[in-house]
Amino acid sequence: MRNLFTLALASLFSISLIYGQSKTVTGSVKDSQTLLALPGVSVTISGKAGGTQTDEAGRFTVEAAPTDSLIFSFVGYQRQTRAVGSDSEVNVFLDDQNQALEEVVVVGYGTVRKVDLTGSIGSVKSDEIVKQPAMSAMQSVQGKVAGLNITASEAPGSTPQVLVRGLGTALGGRDPLYIVDGFPTDNLNSINPSDIESIDVLKDASSASIYGVRAANGVIMVTTKKGRAGSVKIGYESYVGMKNMLNKVKMADASQYVNYYNENIQGIGQGTQLAGDQRHNTDWFNELLGTGTVYNNSVNLSGGSEIVDYYVSATNFTENGLLDGSRFVRNTIRNNNTYKFLDSRLKFMQNLNLSFNNSTPKPYGSFNEAYRQTPLAPVLFDNGRYGTSIYNTTTGMAGYEFGQNEGTGNLNSIGNPVYSVLRNNERRQSTRIQGGIEGEFQITDYLKVNSRIGGTKVYENGRVFTDIRDAWLNGNPLRTNAEFDKLKNDNPNVTGYADNSLMYSKTENFRWQWESFLTFDKNFNGHHVNAVVGFSRDKTGISNTISGTGYDVLPQEQYWNIDLASLDYNKVLNQKFFTPTALASYFGRVQYNYNSTYYATATFRRDGSSVFKSTGNYFDNFPSFGLGWTVTNEEFMSDFTALNFLKLRANWGVLGNQDIPLNVSQILSADGSSNYNYIFGPGQNLVLGAAFGSPALPVFWERTEETGFGLDFEMFDRKLSGSIDYYNKLNTNVIMNVQPVLNSAYSTNFFDHGGKVRNNGIEVVLNWRNAVSEDFNYNIGVNYAYNHNELTDVKPAYDGMTGGSLSNGQITKRIMGGQPIYGWWMWEADGVWQNNEEIADNAAYGSPRPGHLRYKDQNEDGVIDDRDKVFMGSFMPSSTYGFTLGINYKALDFSMAGYGVAGNKIYNALKGVRIDGGENISTDTYNNRWTGEGSTNLHPGADRDSYASSYYLEAGDYFRINNITLGYTFKQLYSPSSNIRLYVTAQNPFMFTKYSGFSPEIPGDGNPQLTSGIELSAYPTTRNFLFGINVQF
Amino acid sequence: MKLRNLNITLLFAAGLLMTSCAEDFLDVPSQEKVEAEHSDENYHPEALVNGVYGMFTDWNYGFAFLGITEIISDNANKGSSPTDTGTDKDILDALTHTSTAASFSSMWEHWYKSIGRATEAITYAEGYEMSDESYRQRLIAEARFLRALNYFYLVRGWGDIPIQEVDLIQRAPVNEVYDYIEADLNFAIDNLPLKSAYAAKDLGRATKGAAQALLAKVFLYQKEWQQAYDLAQAVMTSGEYALEADYATLWRSSTENGSESIFEFQARGESIAHGVRQYSQTQGPRGGTAGIGWGFNVPSDNLLEAFEAENDEIRRDATIIFRGETLYDGREIFNTENPMYNEKAYSSANGGADNTDKNIRYLRLGELYLIKAEAANELGNSSEALNALNAIRTRVELPEVTSSDQTALRAAIWKERRLELAFEHDRWFDLVRTKQAETAMPAAGKNFQQKHYLFPIPNNQLIQTPEMQQNPGW
Repeated sequence: MRNLFTLALASLFSISLIYGQSKTVTGSVKDSQTLLALPGVSVTISGKAGGTQTDEAGRFTVEAAPTDSLIFSFVGYQRQTRAVGSDSEVNVFLDDQNQALEEVVVVGYGTVRKVDLTGSIGSVKSDEIVKQPAMSAMQSVQGKVAGLNITASEAPGSTPQVLVRGLGTALGGRDPLYIVDGFPTDNLNSINPSDIESIDVLKDASSASIYGVRAANGVIMVTTKKGRAGSVKIGYESYVGMKNMLNKVKMADASQYVNYYNENIQGIGQGTQLAGDQRHNTDWFNELLGTGTVYNNSVNLSGGSEIVDYYVSATNFTENGLLDGSRFVRNTIRNNNTYKFLDSRLKFMQNLNLSFNNSTPKPYGSFNEAYRQTPLAPVLFDNGRYGTSIYNTTTGMAGYEFGQNEGTGNLNSIGNPVYSVLRNNERRQSTRIQGGIEGEFQITDYLKVNSRIGGTKVYENGRVFTDIRDAWLNGNPLRTNAEFDKLKNDNPNVTGYADNSLMYSKTENFRWQWESFLTFDKNFNGHHVNAVVGFSRDKTGISNTISGTGYDVLPQEQYWNIDLASLDYNKVLNQKFFTPTALASYFGRVQYNYNSTYYATATFRRDGSSVFKSTGNYFDNFPSFGLGWTVTNEEFMSDFTALNFLKLRANWGVLGNQDIPLNVSQILSADGSSNYNYIFGPGQNLVLGAAFGSPALPVFWERTEETGFGLDFEMFDRKLSGSIDYYNKLNTNVIMNVQPVLNSAYSTNFFDHGGKVRNNGIEVVLNWRNAVSEDFNYNIGVNYAYNHNELTDVKPAYDGMTGGSLSNGQITKRIMGGQPIYGWWMWEADGVWQNNEEIADNAAYGSPRPGHLRYKDQNEDGVIDDRDKVFMGSFMPSSTYGFTLGINYKALDFSMAGYGVAGNKIYNALKGVRIDGGENISTDTYNNRWTGEGSTNLHPGADRDSYASSYYLEAGDYFRINNITLGYTFKQLYSPSSNIRLYVTAQNPFMFTKYSGFSPEIPGDGNPQLTSGIELSAYPTTRNFLFGINVQF
Repeated sequence: MKLRNLNITLLFAAGLLMTSCAEDFLDVPSQEKVEAEHSDENYHPEALVNGVYGMFTDWNYGFAFLGITEIISDNANKGSSPTDTGTDKDILDALTHTSTAASFSSMWEHWYKSIGRATEAITYAEGYEMSDESYRQRLIAEARFLRALNYFYLVRGWGDIPIQEVDLIQRAPVNEVYDYIEADLNFAIDNLPLKSAYAAKDLGRATKGAAQALLAKVFLYQKEWQQAYDLAQAVMTSGEYALEADYATLWRSSTENGSESIFEFQARGESIAHGVRQYSQTQGPRGGTAGIGWGFNVPSDNLLEAFEAENDEIRRDATIIFRGETLYDGREIFNTENPMYNEKAYSSANGGADNTDKNIRYLRLGELYLIKAEAANELGNSSEALNALNAIRTRVELPEVTSSDQTALRAAIWKERRLELAFEHDRWFDLVRTKQAETAMPAAGKNFQQKHYLFPIPNNQLIQTPEMQQNPGW
């Protein structure tokens, strides 16, 4: 067979040799950007054997016929073909592949030139990512891509919440799909941002549908850096920074607190008035918060040859949070190599990312405690115990001093934030190994095959030590060790009186993926066809967890082993395997264009998912189409010279979401204290029981249909560029976690298709870039996105699930058709009760007193209850926008970026939630309060209720300058490419918001049903100052 | 070249073919959740019956339950801090609640879910392969006892209610619900062992005596005096039970499952702790030196006055923790936020932990004496009535009642029920059953209206099933 092949080739060559008249052609080859001569460039004649290379000066001489074409190829540069014609001198400028990459976006199983797109894809390149240093690259991307709503917390090691074109589901799976170098991953937390070459966000259905059942939340394609042939680079990147709280809320001081407290007591008509001259005046935020620091050091090597390209980097990222002892350390090592054989026709791309994380988290509940704890309590009492809100109920003095027959009480039940942070002794470690290898074989010019296999293994372990005795003692300064000993003796085996507890946990997780695809790419007389067909296998969540708890371990940390725990208490062991999820998929895509003017794309994916076992049918199909028309390529546009480029795009497609746990009917059971279990026998033995869960309904995946239109343009010598997109996304069969009818037999929530979610909106991007002179250029970019989120067509019995618990029995959100998913739902505050007559004459809830908030009787039935609660918008912004400004002047670079949201609402639960009445308040709350009839009809008095209402729901609009950077580069130090850049960056120097809490940016855990948008124990936004140096050898 | 392409294409196609067995690849077995279809191999019916009992340990009994059985009545106030509403305990206390008060919804749902588990357990036991037929019948009888217990709560609270096994929306009339309860309890009486006939390890399961006692109470509510009398008498003469000598110990750990105990919600405080979730914590003294609880469901002045008026010191001090008191176990309850707390929820061993070791006494012999007394009085047998009533009074060193006048005796028995059973989650239902509510509640400063005879159907239920009828006035 091989002989036959050679023979065929040989005869082809001999035929072409017969034709054509040879002549001598000379010329030079240079880099198109630097204009430096390129030695060693291979010069061959199309379809003929032989050829030559350029010399030291980049010059060449070759024999060729006028009908021949010369092919110039050089590693690291784009291949170029030139017809010889009548020329005897041919000068060629080769484009660095690096430059060319900028115009290409990664679309999944291939790349596309940006001008050839029919869909809507947002791209961010490495230089923009590193300009906004952060632990996770997704935080750096905030404000850079229209339609990407990123809510990030400054908490060390936290994961930003990312929504692409709105929240389209009520499920657990809200996150976009992250594909890093072809392999799926959960988030980007384990990737060093400076290893990232580009991030491409597949926003529209026709782009994303190649990922089928996982694509409904958008797809984020991440490409990491690779070595490039011909250039050996050594880079060192380092920055150090300081972080401080940006938006400090001024809290009431001791005398204001005493006034407020006493007014409350007076209103209630019972309790002790506090004395005016208190000993302490603690500013809890001052005591609690330190300055956070961040350090990042990264070294990378890259280079390449005809045989191998390599990229290696090692990075340490260390962050010390605002809370004492809160620390997050990440060490990453990345190695991306490409091995080339058969003149690069056969390539193997290998990537490996190791990430080692170490963290000591501290409780964010301490922010809540610092807000509420009374300034009358000291950090430390004189007897060495941590301060509490204990006070003398006879004299009204805070503290634990009393005479005989004097009483004590607590002003509130809030912990000492400083002690909460101190006693929290927790350590987490994780090791993540992510790697893959991909083979690529160029079968012919137009046909190549790729196959890749990769996996991610994660080991996590945690340790929590709790000093139970110490916590008990510090709960009240009057308690003694002897009392604890007595309780311990009287209550053997009761873990509440153990000296301490120690918990270890270990989790292992593995996922793998194998996929192969065939790519056809060919031009026929202006018709360009690119087609991909392939299959994929994927298994995720192959995991298990094990944890153990022991009590009364030895106090020294070195002996913290559960084996050394006391036998007086049962040791607890928990272990389980989780059910993995398997995906089997087939996919294909055809991209066609004629003369880069008329475009059509068709994509098809068939996905099978193990999750939907109960349906007996695993598979579904996800088609999509896209069309494009480059208007400016038409003859009739040639007169419009101001318009350099205009392209219209349209697309439609179907996307899926499958992210629910295995949906089967179950028998429910649990170990330990759960309501399946009971106690029998004289020794009160724990006896395990079980119950049937709600029968699983045949649930299928969510199908989201999306239609989009868009246009891209460039004007005024390409100085102005931009795009406008409209989309309409309808999740046609939202899977809801449904609460069974209250009086039915089963209690566990079940999954069912319960409604539709619509997200529609527009995205506008504008960029102006201008190179005024060789020394001076600048660019300005703005982007804006509007999204409308609405749940519709909810099945009748499925409406009404509530959420947004404030942990005091009050809820703030509800699911309802016609509203955003988990929209705010509460009473509308309607002024303040001024006197008792008003209360008696109007509908009121409970037993209010003058000074309490009034609530509006929406249904006018004379009573205030849940039926008077109304929907009040969403925690999700309807608008997000960003701007960037960059100026380069000689060696100076200056950049500024901002990000803002609008249309969202934030519930200030710090202000609103009150349990004991002895909680501290902000100075504003103090100053604005109702102090008697006629004083104000807006703000409640010191004696107020603690029901959730619109009074505490505030506009969450904000605009934040999130980055100002000034840099200076020393260029061409001892080689043309070596340089040193020094920069200073201010992150979040300014925030403009009317919100009265610490931060209007509250990701929560991203779950719309829980605390998203509720400020209760949220990490405050910080203002960061960084100094950095980048060295390139 | 073409042939070589063909080879690669063929190889690629082979790869695709290999994936054609995708269905096997996608059939991933459940690992952490037991699939219901595997229940026969893994779960004995006893486990499912245990799961019905398990519902007694739920958090609902630790909080919502207090709201609609005690705080709503004249015996108790919300307690805690004035600003801590306890979700809706403030409006229950004030009797200004509506159908959206969460405690109604919680208990309505909880009792129906308990019924669901019982029915599942019955069906499962009936279909399960077992060699010991009497064991099977016992398990079914336990589940039917528990189902009846839960329906009894529902019918007392809401009147006409849907019978879950029949229809979820159509509300069956009260008498049909009672027939249903009686059928379950009669089956239980026929198939459950006596308390003494159980193996020690099964202490705490439903007994024949428990079923008889519950049925006696069910008849009391229907004014079926003779049947109530007979069943109470049967329990009292069964030889299985005797009154504790000292009333003060009745709710302490020393008398758990003791001679007076007929049925209790079982709880364990030791590691691995599993108790009626937070029952002691929600009601524990708030603030002060002890600081072991949230301080909800506190005795009202009205209750205190009732004890004082009767000079009933023993039961007063066994029922109420006073601020400044040193308890029987030496714990000092000084300087608390509220002047009184519920002592029947207090446990020595509980220092504020979630899982209390406190067993809740659901039915005890003391109440059977009072059921017998009330039934005997209604049947015109005043001497039997006086005997039973005075047995209870003698224990707490109160003078015997001597009046044989039916009306006066009825009032005496009702008053005795209040003092004997205070904080045993009976008061509200008693107030409504006997219609004392119309006078007693205003006396406690609460505006009782006709609609209060029945709880409102929870608004959340009506959102789900709009066809269901609401109770009048709500």
